[in-house]
Amino acid sequence: MKILIIEDEKGLRESIETYLKTQDYICEIAIDFNSAVEKTELYDYDCILLDITLPGGSGLAILKELRANDKMDGVLIISAKNSIDDKVDGLMLGADDYLAKPFHLSELSARVAAIIRRKKFGGSSSLHFNNITIDVQAKVVTVNKEPLDLTKKEFDLLLYFINNKEKVISKNAIAEHLWGDEMSGNLDFIYTHIKNLRKKLVEAGEADYIKTVYGMGYKFTGR
Amino acid sequence: MKLLAKYNRVNILATTIVFMIGGVCYYFILHLVLIKQLDKDLRVEEQEIRDYVRAHNSLPDSADYKDQQVSFEPVAEAVKRKFGSIDILKKKDNEFITIRRLIFPEHISGVNYKVSVSKSQQETEDLIQLIVSITLAMVILLLLVLFIINRFVLNKLWLPFNNTLTQLRQFKLQSKKPLRLDDTGINEFRELNKAVTVMSNQVLKDYESLKSFTENASHEIQTPLAVINSKLELLMQSENFTEQQMNGVETIQDEIRRLSRLNQSLLLLTKIDNRQFEEAEEVDLAKIIVRQLNNYEELIAAKQITLTQHISETPPVLMNETLAAVLITNLLTNAIKHNIDDGSITVSLQQNQLSVSNTGNKLNCRPEELFERFKKDKHQTESLGLGLSIVKKICEQYNFSVSYSFMEGLHTLSIVFPSSTGL
Repeated sequence: MKILIIEDEKGLRESIETYLKTQDYICEIAIDFNSAVEKTELYDYDCILLDITLPGGSGLAILKELRANDKMDGVLIISAKNSIDDKVDGLMLGADDYLAKPFHLSELSARVAAIIRRKKFGGSSSLHFNNITIDVQAKVVTVNKEPLDLTKKEFDLLLYFINNKEKVISKNAIAEHLWGDEMSGNLDFIYTHIKNLRKKLVEAGEADYIKTVYGMGYKFTGR
Repeated sequence: MKLLAKYNRVNILATTIVFMIGGVCYYFILHLVLIKQLDKDLRVEEQEIRDYVRAHNSLPDSADYKDQQVSFEPVAEAVKRKFGSIDILKKKDNEFITIRRLIFPEHISGVNYKVSVSKSQQETEDLIQLIVSITLAMVILLLLVLFIINRFVLNKLWLPFNNTLTQLRQFKLQSKKPLRLDDTGINEFRELNKAVTVMSNQVLKDYESLKSFTENASHEIQTPLAVINSKLELLMQSENFTEQQMNGVETIQDEIRRLSRLNQSLLLLTKIDNRQFEEAEEVDLAKIIVRQLNNYEELIAAKQITLTQHISETPPVLMNETLAAVLITNLLTNAIKHNIDDGSITVSLQQNQLSVSNTGNKLNCRPEELFERFKKDKHQTESLGLGLSIVKKICEQYNFSVSYSFMEGLHTLSIVFPSSTGL
């Protein structure tokens, strides 16, 4: 899977690149408007991460150009302008998703995976992790071909974990992914939630994949 | 005190005093002049008597006319010549009248006579009285005219001033509308309007630049936050952390999150102020509430909170959908966050009123402070203290009334939508 990261902020660009590379994506970068235009014209990508405010021009112009040329690369807008206008404009112009800065890399990765799934496989693909199979479109999980009964939130959580397997995910990232960013304060209730998912997976005959990383969060690991 | 009233008070007082003093002076001067005139007549009479005496060496007949009396009286010694005013009792009407009398000596054939010539002063007095009456009438008339002028003319003169005042009262920074003041044609008001217009434009400009500064600053803060957050997440993937380091990472993470949320909330407040959510549509509040309650199901369950819903079909409310979602979210998360374990939440949506009640500890601030920015419970250090400010700001934009009450351990926030926004 090939991803183009169009982001002028060096620190953020490097972080994204590092994180996605460990998830077996091939990453290319563009640091300004002109190089971004050049790359998008020459190559096809599975997903383009697009910052809106770029030196030399607006990311929205790149998106417009892309869609005008009938290029169907997946586009995820990442913008510091958490403004409704940009979001609406971006989605109107054919962006697949919108993520406001600051975001969690795990969230970014989950969104990228979702876009690629939609674009490449028409959403019909299923995800596998050991004996677990997730049919994303039908929202059905099977373990050893036996259906696993999960609540909507548990399903979302499992999907999030599998999209970020072998990564430490913070409690904050999980809370924001599942309930939006309005919930502040004590995040202990996540523990109950994780416990339930863990219990259901173990009862279905799987190993305990969810590791608690003290003080930081959780890690879904097959190792 | 009204400027007009103050002016009138001074004006009327001064006018009255001037007329009083004027009247008194007038009276005395007139009196003096008329007496002089009377004395002149008496002198003419004296001269006539003297001439008669020189010619005939005898006294003329005494005379007693209505307005002039002449009498002679032999005296031992010559009297001194003098004028005088005296009151005498008039026998006919039995009332006092004032007369002017001249007494002078006359010497005829070795006999001293006291000659007195008198003229009634009554007519003079009458004249003075008449003149004073006319003056008084003039004063009253003048005061009346002043009153009418003040009442009708001055009110009209002040009209441009009052217009300016009305406009100033209606002037709102948020509406971004500059003042439009008509040219009055009066220099003073033109100057006033000019000054006020210049000032309001400056204020608008400053307010705009302050707002755009807040917005830009918030945007600029997002990027470094994003970088820090991403670097920290990468750092978290290292496996050889000590427990102490892990705790440190967790704290940093929480603080970044808080900073980011703080920033976003401030940005939201600024945007509402900036009227960046102008687009309105028919919003079904019941639908949003049910959706949000489903979303927070686990959070409510985690605290073992009992949720009661009285949600009925209500007419749609005309507002921005994003703001409607923010409004509901803030009300619900507020009720969850500030709740106690095993507490309860009641959400009720009836006709044009939405109220959210929750159990919770008593407030340690005044209820009216609840909606102020950064007012929060001391025990809730995680809370930003912006949630209810945002609720209030949104309600202000749509003229919803929002109120808080505390009864029997239940905190209740109620929002009443004006029926005009319903359809």
